[in-house]
Amino acid sequence: MKDLIRIKSLISAEVEALLNQQVKKEATSSSIYLAMASWCNRNGYDFSSDYFFKQAEEERQHQLKFYKYILDMGGNAISPDVTGIKQEYNSFREVFEEALDQEISVTQSIKNIYARCLKEQDFVTNEFLNWFLKEQREEEYKARRALELFEVIGEEGTGRWQIDKHVGGIKYDSEA
Amino acid sequence: MVTTLTTNPQISTLSDVFSTQNGAVYQCDAERCWYVDFAGKVAKFDYRCLLKLKKAVYNVDIEAKLLDSSKKPDIEIIFICACDHTYILTLLQIIALKEILEGTFVMLQLNNIIQDRLYRVAL
Ligand SMILES: [Fe+2]
Ligand SMILES: [Fe+2]
Repeated sequence: MKDLIRIKSLISAEVEALLNQQVKKEATSSSIYLAMASWCNRNGYDFSSDYFFKQAEEERQHQLKFYKYILDMGGNAISPDVTGIKQEYNSFREVFEEALDQEISVTQSIKNIYARCLKEQDFVTNEFLNWFLKEQREEEYKARRALELFEVIGEEGTGRWQIDKHVGGIKYDSEA
Repeated sequence: MVTTLTTNPQISTLSDVFSTQNGAVYQCDAERCWYVDFAGKVAKFDYRCLLKLKKAVYNVDIEAKLLDSSKKPDIEIIFICACDHTYILTLLQIIALKEILEGTFVMLQLNNIIQDRLYRVAL
């Protein structure tokens, strides 16, 4: 008996479902960053607003990367519902705290898919995920650096104005 | 693509995937499809439609239907989008079909594991 499902699709139904979940997660991240960009803009933090606009765009690209991979492997990519995005924040600092939380949860979820693929010996998808593991290194680094500015500069006086200015300059350029 | 057959397909070219007292699923390698023999008919399913059938059957909340004490008839219509094919089943038939599909997908997965291990080595 031939393995007809394997002929149709390189990825298993379980991996396909996990990848679709990740599509949704990246779409949610993109929407969260967009809301953060709006909040920062409304409250006078222009550099941070630009930073979050860029992040939102990146998350959209991540979403499409997963989406196209599922289709290329013969799976069914599902366009996600994204609802319930928080629009208001209590403070400038809270925005960055939640940005880091979001990135950590993305890293965790990619680790989860990676573990499943290892179990199935789906090395092809593992190799695809490697790009994302490296990307998460940068994403968490940047989010952490931004939060550190609150400690180093302090929020008193013109502190928040200074912090905002420095957020625009956060870069990760490790060659490793 | 789903086709209902009036006569049984040539059983010789089919492999048994899974069967119970209530029905069976056969695989046809040549046509790359499955035949579901259930509720008095044999229907042909390709991969996408078989997945849709599975989803439709698994989505029926059997427990809720069992607890439902209203006088509605316990008939469920399994309509599969983009496949011109429908099952009209009683609750007992749903349970029976679910059992067959569960067994079928376990066997298909087992086949996947075997094939994956067997044909990985260059011959
Ligand atoms: Fe991302
Ligand atoms: Fe990210």
